[in-house]
Amino acid sequence: MMKLVNSAALAFAAGAALTASILPARAQETVKVGVLHSLSGTMAISETSLRDVLQFTFDEINAKGGVMGKKIEPVIVDGASNWPLFAEKAKQLLEQDKCAVVFGCWTSVSRKSVLPVFEKNNGLLFYPVQYEGEEESQNVFYTAEAVNQQATPSVDYLLAQGKKKFYLLGSDYVYPQTTNLVLLEYLLSKGVPIENIGGGFKKDESGKIISAGKYTPFGHTDYQQIIAEIKQFAAGGKACVVSTLNGDTNVPFFKEYAAAGLTAETCPVVSFSISEDEFRALPAKQLVGQLGCWTYFQSIKSPANKKFIADWDAWLKKTTLDGVKKEGRVTCSPMALSYDGVYLWKAAVEKAKSFEVDKVREALKGGISFAGPGGTVKSQKNMHLTKNVFIGETKADGQFKILKTFEGVYGEPWLKGTFKPKTAKK
Amino acid sequence: MMHRILILLAALICITARAETPREVIAKAAVLDDSEAQAKLVQTLADSGSPDVGQLLTLWKEGGIFLLSGPTDTKIAITLGPDKDAGGNQAVFRFETGAPVLDEAGKPLRALASDLNTAETDSLLRTAMKSVMDLAQLSSADVKQRLRSVETLGMEQNPERLPVLLSRQQKETDSQVKRAIREAIALTEIKDEDPAKQIAACRELGAIGSIPSQDILKQVVKDGVPEVQVAATAALKEIASHVRTVDTVGTLFRGLSAGSILLVVAIGLAITFGLMGVINMAHGEMIAIGAYTTYIVQCVFGPGLEVSPFGFHINLPGMNATGWHYDCYFIVAIPLSFLTAALAGLALERGIIRFLYSRPLESLLATWGVSLVLQQLFRLTFGANNVQVSAPSWLSGNWTVNDILFPWNRVFVVVFAIAIVIGVNLLLKKTPLGLLIRAVMQNRNMAACMGVRTERVNMLTFALGSGLAGLAGAFISQIGNVGPGLGQLYIVDSFMTVVVGGVGNLFGTVFSSLGIGMADQGLQQILGNPVLGKILVLAGIILFLQWRPAGIFVSKSRSLES
Repeated sequence: MMKLVNSAALAFAAGAALTASILPARAQETVKVGVLHSLSGTMAISETSLRDVLQFTFDEINAKGGVMGKKIEPVIVDGASNWPLFAEKAKQLLEQDKCAVVFGCWTSVSRKSVLPVFEKNNGLLFYPVQYEGEEESQNVFYTAEAVNQQATPSVDYLLAQGKKKFYLLGSDYVYPQTTNLVLLEYLLSKGVPIENIGGGFKKDESGKIISAGKYTPFGHTDYQQIIAEIKQFAAGGKACVVSTLNGDTNVPFFKEYAAAGLTAETCPVVSFSISEDEFRALPAKQLVGQLGCWTYFQSIKSPANKKFIADWDAWLKKTTLDGVKKEGRVTCSPMALSYDGVYLWKAAVEKAKSFEVDKVREALKGGISFAGPGGTVKSQKNMHLTKNVFIGETKADGQFKILKTFEGVYGEPWLKGTFKPKTAKK
Repeated sequence: MMHRILILLAALICITARAETPREVIAKAAVLDDSEAQAKLVQTLADSGSPDVGQLLTLWKEGGIFLLSGPTDTKIAITLGPDKDAGGNQAVFRFETGAPVLDEAGKPLRALASDLNTAETDSLLRTAMKSVMDLAQLSSADVKQRLRSVETLGMEQNPERLPVLLSRQQKETDSQVKRAIREAIALTEIKDEDPAKQIAACRELGAIGSIPSQDILKQVVKDGVPEVQVAATAALKEIASHVRTVDTVGTLFRGLSAGSILLVVAIGLAITFGLMGVINMAHGEMIAIGAYTTYIVQCVFGPGLEVSPFGFHINLPGMNATGWHYDCYFIVAIPLSFLTAALAGLALERGIIRFLYSRPLESLLATWGVSLVLQQLFRLTFGANNVQVSAPSWLSGNWTVNDILFPWNRVFVVVFAIAIVIGVNLLLKKTPLGLLIRAVMQNRNMAACMGVRTERVNMLTFALGSGLAGLAGAFISQIGNVGPGLGQLYIVDSFMTVVVGGVGNLFGTVFSSLGIGMADQGLQQILGNPVLGKILVLAGIILFLQWRPAGIFVSKSRSLES
């Protein structure tokens, strides 16, 4: 681990030396910024990309003079896909290294485990990955997609496409369970009768639904039974599957799905956990035509995105950071949101003219806009982000074709029990 | 005479010119922004009867039609020529006429495909396209296409389609399509005003056990006149009993296939652990070797493979095969995955296990170490991510009998498992090598005294067991993930199956794998929860082993140690 930190520091030093000639003054002054992702263990496949994109963003900012004249000095630690370790590392970043801000976490459970540490030390965490909502800490800024920036727009789209039956399927943990409960309420509010929502329900003694949809554990391989159920469910047409399956369980699911003769035309699957990065490890042939919903796609045709991808590719070519895979890299929503997060923090610091967490938070709450690769994002009072939402369709080359854009969707974490998704135009 | 023909021709041209050609309709639809309007235009193509409608719509669906912004904020639909120049630019043609588009200077325009906007299709539009194409496919020679076409027409419930369906019913020979046509006609007639017709349609739907019609029948039960409601309720009851049959038979088959997978992954272990007594923790990695071999073969048949383990750069050229040539890769992969895994097993036996036959616990530790080394080796060679193995087309379809689904890959694994069991049994019981294997496994020292070269037999037996694991890997690559951790997923299941079946008894393994598979799928069907079923099965196994610690079939032995 030390080695990694050292080499990161070295890389930074090299970068600093390069730009030192342009900005001779105050090149020594730095601000420490924490990076808390899993660089080993099961989540490393996804999270390492975020470490890479953060380092890329820091290099980009440092090359232009840093934040308020101070160079960003990243402190990169490894959460090792181990949730208690995440809390320990967060403590180290805040208490020992005195980081002004931390970018990190992927899984909801890692966020939940570092939350008390950030609240106790009054730290600031930028969290970039779609999550289940029902949380609004003053010490976390959620650049992530809230449920109303991913799940409910997808349902809106499917309803508009004439879908009448929805089968809910997910991996068995907090994000799918919570999201599906919100979706259930949302679907019912849209007039979808409960018998048209598939996957089964679990009720407590009083008859209140406490779990909606079908759940399989991580690493589940046998989807025969579930596919047979979906096949019957979809027999009458106008059905679709809303999938929150995570990681590589998608492979046996989609292989079985294709073998049963189900297709994206008869019964499309909208997946919330498959982005361009995950796509690299999935069989593309079986996924063509299925839907995804994110607030960024690599295929967005905008000058800002073109520049982002070009700069990222250039950085990949020349970086000397340890363990950066250089071939076959893509960009995806969590990466773009990490990138947005760093720039938002920079803008907030410059607006507050201070690195102090309380002042930066006030600046963020005041509403800061940044023209990111996925379009303009704006920070909100509730520590979430207003951003564009895109519905895309997977193509054989692992990219998404954008089918629909919802502009400026307000991030709303508290949806359970309200089902009043607001699409505020600002 | 000549004049007459010319006049006729001219008249014909005039007529066709007045009715819009499919190309013109599509060009008109492609430039619209509103997908509902687009869908409506596309629907009009259904009656054109033109043979190339399907082709044109497929071109649109696959992104072959582009939009070009015209001078006054209008858009025109274009296609691109086949040849690219040095800059990747392609010639531009108007879609409706096929004439080249000229730029301001009057020269033929060329454009870069990636700069142009494709005429997008969303699922509403594609559904419309599909129904148009379905109608065209109603008289297709392919049974599957006909079937799909009939099913869609039925769901449309459009009385205008009734004559087409009725005329098709006269001509149809395939029994599955016949059933689908009956269903489609009944579904359409249930919308009729006449209650008598509706009742007849309900009866028909009940008689054929039509699962897709359930939602519609439920609607009829709510809104219909009383007599029709009765008929619909009766039909729903009949369908429900049909669904029960489908579920039961389907579950039995799924249990069989789940059991077959267990059997395929465990049979190698039944030999190395069951017969030889080696606690081989690297068994899972032997499976992974088979799966990776399949991956490599697939890459060689396809675009080739580049790997760089330990800084060595290995580049396997690809054959870029397509069609059925490519699909043959799996046939080649099966024996090759057996061979590579067998060779790996051979090396493992020669290098480590032969020193540990008398010390089973140490073989456990040693093979566990080997399994860790192998996993890391996969990671270094093929990367930490899973690799993609696509199923050949002949394994990715399914066979549907009376609504019961038999996916080809599952049918294949059942046949594959039966073949392996018969093959292994013949090898052990009918060949000289099998005789030697059984002798050595029963009593190594005694066999050695009788002049059997036990070293060699050990080696071959272990290689056989590992090779069988490799075969399992080839198959698993078709249904699940291929990654460095593949072996870990199956090692527990393998040991469980062998232990429950009774160590040292091949048929015990067969029985236990089928039993576990059936129990797992049956419980999943009853409880509707994949996790709970598995937990119950595991709890059942624990209780079973308390009752019969030696498994279903206890091997009888005269040796003193037992």
